[in-house]
Amino acid sequence: MQRRVAVIGIGYTPFRPISPDLSFKEMMFEAAQKAYEDAGVCPRHDIDAFVTCEEDFTHGRSIFNIHTPDNIGAVLKRIHTLPAESLYGLADAYMLINTGLVDVMAVESHSKASNMLTPNYLIAHAMDPVYNKPLSYNPYFIAGMEMNRYMHERGVTKEQCALVSVKNKANALLNPEAAYGDRISVDDVLNSEMMFWPLSRLDMSSPADGGIVLVLACEEKARILCDKPIWVRGVGWCSDAPSLETREWGEAVYARLAGEMAYRLAGIEHPRKEVDFAEVDDSFSYKELQHLEALKLCRSGQAGFMVEEGATKREGEFPVNVSGGSLGVGRLDEATGLQKVLEVVLQLRGEAGKRQLPNIKVGLAQSWRGLPANSGAVAILSNE
Amino acid sequence: MPLDKVTQVAQTKPWHGSIPVYGQYTFGIAGERFFRDIKDKGRIMGAKCAECNLVYVPPRIYCERCFGELAKWLEIPNRGVVHTFTVAHADLDGNRLEEPIVVALVKFDGVYGGLVHRLGEVEPDKVTIGMAVEMMLKPKAKRTGSILDIDYFKPIRA
Ligand SMILES: [Zn+2]
Repeated sequence: MQRRVAVIGIGYTPFRPISPDLSFKEMMFEAAQKAYEDAGVCPRHDIDAFVTCEEDFTHGRSIFNIHTPDNIGAVLKRIHTLPAESLYGLADAYMLINTGLVDVMAVESHSKASNMLTPNYLIAHAMDPVYNKPLSYNPYFIAGMEMNRYMHERGVTKEQCALVSVKNKANALLNPEAAYGDRISVDDVLNSEMMFWPLSRLDMSSPADGGIVLVLACEEKARILCDKPIWVRGVGWCSDAPSLETREWGEAVYARLAGEMAYRLAGIEHPRKEVDFAEVDDSFSYKELQHLEALKLCRSGQAGFMVEEGATKREGEFPVNVSGGSLGVGRLDEATGLQKVLEVVLQLRGEAGKRQLPNIKVGLAQSWRGLPANSGAVAILSNE
Repeated sequence: MPLDKVTQVAQTKPWHGSIPVYGQYTFGIAGERFFRDIKDKGRIMGAKCAECNLVYVPPRIYCERCFGELAKWLEIPNRGVVHTFTVAHADLDGNRLEEPIVVALVKFDGVYGGLVHRLGEVEPDKVTIGMAVEMMLKPKAKRTGSILDIDYFKPIRA
């Protein structure tokens, strides 16, 4: 049995640099309460299964995911927790509903990044403990090395990367939930503090706190519960070699293969023609360009020119990261992928407020797990 | 349900926690061999997958491409090229480094993989992708069998 799967409810808290008022459990509760209200479901009666997606230690707790059932209405119900990027949670829900095991399912993810006081050490401790970690470098050196190799292979310039930061921070000014909206120039980016050459301070996203919950359902339930179901037409995911030594440094191979899987499920042959807009990972400015190429949303080596021409602006022919992306919204740890999905759903519903895109039918959301990982997922959604 | 919203941040109270996390990580068969050779013989060893014709550095006992088991060892020349690099200006705590560190991935001819390490005896703005470099080891008496037995890689002067 293959069933269509739809997003029927969304709930989220504002995305902010700090959230001193809410514990992570209360943040989850707030997002879940809003999502269930939006979907018109009661978690105790109507939701069959739950998945939460967060990495351990990132909010200063260990094995914290034993503490996720109660605040989303999942006690004594089927719940599993992923120490993974949240688009993988969406893929889990897609599979469970598509195969008929579950009718209605909730996907949760949040970031409480402000509660982790020594995040660099956490990332450094995730690197190879024998070959890499003893060097004791700030782990963001990996992004500097990747940006350098990507620019070298594809002829992308630092100015073109800077344009991504300029665009996304400007987009975020129209998103009331975004934490880092700003009107900056290419020179501001180029003149910002040099961190890991060629990576400057304003090429890097900053962390934010926030929670997101989505409710998904099979077609039969979606038609009953929801006026504007947003269909999940395809999902895909992939991991490249994890070692720094053997991974690919120029091309985002994980994104290319995840994209190919999602396009195949969605029946998309010409991504650039059949997808109307995208929210792709932009944890660092160059990542947006690297991911657009990998996802075949522009020709190889053309991502730099695409942003230069303004094609990826909100009013351009192929809008990218209209939400503001991670550069404008803030990076939400493992919830970053769900933030991409959230924006695609808001746009496809026609509920994106001042940043609403006209005449759109198909949107793509893509995630990267973040340093030092080399993996990610893709979801393709449609309002018809 | 209306929540009581906080308006005075100074009145919010976080709980402060820390845990001592101490662990160990087993070098394993390939790691033991690699670091013993660096320490005692001052040479880089790789492991070959005959099936894929790939030589792995760092060595390992499995091939990530064909999942075959690797048992053939060979010595790798201590000269390579800079595959990519960065100039790091911040340390692990986020503080500015007085002297920036050039970190590079050095690849060796005919090798799948390479070594991540710092470059020495070179100005950061003189480093280029493709630059030829050679391994500089610490004196034998100071080696302990770790990646830090390699002091740095330095450019090979033409
Ligand atoms: Zn092999």
